[in-house]
Order: sequence, then structure tokens, then C-alpha cells
Amino acid sequence: MREWRERVGSRVFILFSILGPLVVLTIMYILFAYGGKIAKKWNVLIADPVGIMENKIAARVDPNVTYSFADNYIETEEFANAKAYQEFDAMVEINEKVLGNKVGFVFYRQIPSKALEKTVQYQIERRLEEVLVKRFTKLSLLDFRKIKQPILLSFRSVYDPEDKSADKRAWVGMFFGALIFIFIALFAMTLMRSISREKSNRIVEVILASVKPTQLMLGKIIGVGLSAIVQCSIWIVVIAIGLSLMKSTLFPDYMAQNIDSAGNVISQTANDTDLMGNTGAYEYNEFVDLVFERVQFGPMLFVFALCLLGGYLFYSAIFSAVGASVGSESDGQQFVIPLVLLLCFGVYAGYYAMVNPDAPLTTWLYYLPFTAPSVVLVKFAQGFAPGEAYTLWLVGLILILSCVLFFYLAGRIYKNGILQFGHRLKLRHFFKWTKNN
Amino acid sequence: MLEITNLTKSYGQALALNQVSMKLVEGEIFGLLGPNGAGKSTLIRIVNQIIEPNSGHIKFNNDLFRREHLKSIGYLPEERGLYRGMTVQEHGIFLGKLRGMNTKEAKNALEYWLDRFEISDWRKKRIEELSKGMAQKIQFIFTVLHEPKLIILDEPFSGFDPINVELIKKEIQSLKAQNRTILLSTHSMNSVEEICDRAMLLHQGKSILEGQVKELRKKNKDGMFTVRFEGIMLGFVNALWTGFEIVDTREFGNNRYEVDLKMMGDNTIDELMGVMIGQVKIEAIFEKLPGMQEVFISSIAAAQNPMIQ
Repeated sequence: MREWRERVGSRVFILFSILGPLVVLTIMYILFAYGGKIAKKWNVLIADPVGIMENKIAARVDPNVTYSFADNYIETEEFANAKAYQEFDAMVEINEKVLGNKVGFVFYRQIPSKALEKTVQYQIERRLEEVLVKRFTKLSLLDFRKIKQPILLSFRSVYDPEDKSADKRAWVGMFFGALIFIFIALFAMTLMRSISREKSNRIVEVILASVKPTQLMLGKIIGVGLSAIVQCSIWIVVIAIGLSLMKSTLFPDYMAQNIDSAGNVISQTANDTDLMGNTGAYEYNEFVDLVFERVQFGPMLFVFALCLLGGYLFYSAIFSAVGASVGSESDGQQFVIPLVLLLCFGVYAGYYAMVNPDAPLTTWLYYLPFTAPSVVLVKFAQGFAPGEAYTLWLVGLILILSCVLFFYLAGRIYKNGILQFGHRLKLRHFFKWTKNN
Repeated sequence: MLEITNLTKSYGQALALNQVSMKLVEGEIFGLLGPNGAGKSTLIRIVNQIIEPNSGHIKFNNDLFRREHLKSIGYLPEERGLYRGMTVQEHGIFLGKLRGMNTKEAKNALEYWLDRFEISDWRKKRIEELSKGMAQKIQFIFTVLHEPKLIILDEPFSGFDPINVELIKKEIQSLKAQNRTILLSTHSMNSVEEICDRAMLLHQGKSILEGQVKELRKKNKDGMFTVRFEGIMLGFVNALWTGFEIVDTREFGNNRYEVDLKMMGDNTIDELMGVMIGQVKIEAIFEKLPGMQEVFISSIAAAQNPMIQ
């Protein structure tokens, strides 16, 4: 209780509880609000001395780009320095060569955003396409575009033919898995520091004269764990409220906007750019879609809570044992790096499982208690094949048994190490204190 | 009150306690003495159930010691420590509750002790704001807050200035007057002489001396006498023959002296008086008992080298 009160009452806890979710919400807001918007309006000059484009470009006026046409050749140096061209942000050179070798250039003054680049690229390419179709084929533009459409061969699970549990959802699992390890790192470190501080300031001897060492260790783990639950809950509630407010007030019809107005440019571009790599706008669409439409937050949060609990209990036993074993507070620092690496490995395991869902190593990482919390979430987000869901219970059982075993070992190390002072901690101490009674 | 029988504890190959037995009687102050590493802290930790012995047992009020008995013990360890971020009051309540008090009882008891030490204004202070001496005083209060029947004090005077040492001694004696039993582990032999009824000397995990402090001093007497007289020092020295050795002299002026003598061989106090009468005017003569410091040193030396005895 004292531990819980101290943690929850500390300024750092309160700050982290409030600022943490606000930072996440701010990042989300930025992604929602500016992810697909073009920051600066562009003024583009099309140098078309032959009149290939016939002074025409997009069917509709684009709010982000204004095109002007010049019927003379303009050298890049002239465009860069001549006073008459200073109002233009970029120049596109169109000539017969462009139609022949299909290579063109846009000369800009300041590097444009990805979204703006794609917009200009798309609009000019589409117009040239019209010219090409008119000059060299008898097809209608619509038919040409039908033929031109690339064939996309996608890999989909036979159990999920509609691709409901797409890779993107695995990213959500990965995100939650990483979050678990962030919380474990934060709170298990807090626990370790708290134990080593109690040890180095010797209050522990007074406390141990009233409670058993294992009771004290468990009390601290539970106290710090409860504060982690409180903090996690605050994060979840604040982020949930924030997202809900964003959806209903700040961006009531944002997704609709993307399809209707910007869709003319962005959603169609998405198809083309998918082959080349994602554009900012494309990512933005996916992000909004992912957050508001694809993720089933209820079950995901439930599994997240269980994994956080299991992971925290498992790692807290290790961190407690280290905290109780150190000879001095600074002595513990040398063990922080391997422990942090262990946690990083846990996060990486989640990523590995996401990229290689069917690899044999993924199966091992799924069952290994060190990595299970993140891998389980990735697997859960990806979805289980029918008849495989039972493995979740198996992982849970292994994690619980591992927790019991590690608590037993940590309890012995804690009991034997907590009143040892002044030594330089070595690995053999852990083995020795595991055996001693 | 507390009966320890054949307590043995080893850490790997090292034997920290070897068949140690002792008995504390209600209302006494018992000194636990010994050089560093003698096993005092191990013994105290076993009594407090912090560590377990390999063999032996402890009885508390004729019952085999159980964890519930810990609530009747107040323990001040040698290495002091408190939660630095807590206030004196929060800390007192926390420790009081650990020892079975409720919040109100702990608060009232703390108030009583803070008033008694005239430090009531420290109540709201954080531990980190207190000086080392102030924190020590607070820790002493926390030790006795729950009115324990047995109070174990490990080096309670270390870190205190002489005024506060006297204050703590007074409090220990006052607790004894309330029929509390006190187990005092200290290197301050003066304090042992002053306040302890009985003492035990541990050496290399074994009890090598135990008994009433006065008896221990008597047992270790080495034929030292102090003579106070008026007269000429030369006459006094001439009067003594080889049977007495002058160890120390102190002059008070006007031919008044105090001399510490060591009796050699089988000489008696009557023989000493016989040689002095007529030479100097004797004001006082008394046997000088060794201090606990001497008892401590000679006993340890004897234990290390039995030939010395």
C-alpha cells in the first residue's frame, strides 16, 4: 500500500499519466489532420512550346496547385534566376521527347511534400496519357485506362479471404506489444530501483523485522503493479475519449472527404503508388481506417491487459531479484543494460512474428515467456486459424507457470541477497543465493 | 522473557553463531558485547526472524517464538534507514501499523514521544529534511512507538552527540523502569557499565562471558587499589616495598595525592595499610574494579590465546 501510494502520489507518475496519453493523442491528431493535407499551395509553370497539352490539365480546379502555361522554351537557369518566373514554385518541361521516351522532369525551387509531388505527378501524367491515347490509339480514354490497369496479385489467407485480418492489424498488435514492454521497462525498473534504494538506505531491515522477505517482495511487486494498472487505465481512458472526441468533433466527415474531394487525386493515386511504395496520403488513409474501422479494441484491450499482467509479473520477479542482490545502488546499473536488451528482444520478437508469422522461430517466441507478451498480441491481431485458438490458453499456462517458478527463485534470491551489502554483484551470487536457505 | 537455546547459524563454511544460549529476564537491560564480526547482528536478526538459524530455538514468554511475537519487539538496527520522502508522522504511522497499531494509536503514541523529546514541530517534516542526529532520534522513537515488551537496540548511541547520548540513556532507563526488557548491542563500554544489568560477550560466534556486569568486573579484578592521602610523596614511595607497584599518580595540591597501586603476589590490603600508617595521612583506600573495556579486551585476548590466562 505504501509502495502504491508513493508511486501514485509522485509528480512523475501524475505527469506521465496525463502527458503520456496527450502526447499520443497529439501525434494522432497531427497524423489525422496533416497526414494527407498539402501544407503549401504550389504555382506550377508548364513550358509547352509545341502545345502538346493544349493548355489543359485537370478537369477540376485543384485547391493546392495552380497551373500556368508558357509557349516558349525556358532554360532551367533562366527559370531559376529570371525575375518573371520567380512567382512559380516549379516548372515542367513538355516537348515531343517526353511523349517519345516518356521521361519528364519537374524543376522545383523548394522540395515539395510527398503528397504535393504525387498530386502534380498524377495530374500531368493523366493529361499526357490523354494526349497519347488521342494521338496513338483509337481507344476511348476509359478503355485505355481499363487495359492499362496493372494486375495486382495479393496473397490472402484461405481462412480470411476478405483480408479482414490484414497485416495492418498485425501492426496494431505490434504497437500494443511494444507498449507492454514500455510499461514493463518503466515499472519493473521502478521496482528494481525501489528495492535497491530500500536496501541501500537500510530501512529494509526494520521492515523485515515485521514481514517476511517474500511478503515484502510481493507487496512491492503488487504495489508497483497496481500503479501500472492505474496509469495504463488512465492512458486508455484518455486516449479513448480523445479519439472519440476527434471522430465526432474535429473530424466528423474526414474519411468521406478523402474519398469525395481529395479522392479525385489521392485515392486514385493510391492505386498507382501502391506498386512504388506508400505515399503520405495513402498511409494517412490507412491510419484513419486502421484506428477507427479495423481494430476491435474491446478484445484487443482484454488480451493486452492479460499480457501486460503476465509480462509484468514475469519480468518483475527478475528485476526484484536483481534489485535485492546489488551491493550498492550504483552496482545495479551494470545489470540494467542486459535487462533492457532483454526487453528490446521482447519488442523485436513481436516484430519478427509480424513479418514471419509462420516461421518456426515465431512459434518458439510465442511460447517463450520472455517474448510471449508481444508475440501473443501480434498473433492475436493477425487472427488464429480455426482450431488454433487453444494455443492462447497454452501460452497463458506457460506464462503462469514461469511466473510461479521465477517468483520462487526470485524469492530465494531476495531473501538471501537483501541483507548482503558492499559486495560487487556477479552472476554466481544469483546461483549461490538460489541454493542457500 | 526471551530464552535462546543452542542457536547455531552458518553462512556457507563460515560459522556465525555456535551453540549460543542466553536468557533475558523481564525488566532488565542486557548488554550484548563483542568485537566486529562476533555474531551479534546475526543473533539479533535471528531473534527478529529476519534470518533463520540452522539449529536451536527461541522462546518468548515461555512460548516457542512465532511471528506474532514480533509485534512485541521493537528493533533499532545498527544501520539506520528511513523512507526519505515521507514525513515523520506518515512514517511513524506506517511503522506503527506494521507492528499492529491502528492509525489513531500510532498517531497518539507519536505525539506523546515527540512531546517527550520536545520535537513536536518535526511532525510534518520530511525525513530528508532532518539531520543525521535528528533522524536517529526519530528512529529511536519509531522503535518504541508500539510499546514493545522487548526492545532490541543495536548501537543506539552511534551518531549522537554527548547530550543526546545521555538523553537516550535516560530513556532506556525509563523504559526499564516500566518493566520493559532491553537487549543492547554496543561497543560503548561506559554505557554498559552505566546502564546494563547483565551482559554477554560474543567472540567468533561463541559466548565467552556472561553474567551480572558487576560480577563480571569483580571476576576480572586484577589487584588494583586506589589510595588517597595527604603527605609527602617521597615518603609514601619509600614506605612501599616491592610487593606493590605504583601504576598512576594524581596530585591535587597541598601535598594531597591519589595513587593507583597494583598488589603483587599474595599481599593484602591490611599489609598495604600497615606500611602506609605513620608515613602519610590516609584519606581513602578502595579496590579498583576493572572497567568493562578492560574486561572486554582481556576476555577477547584470553579467548584468542588461552595461554594468557
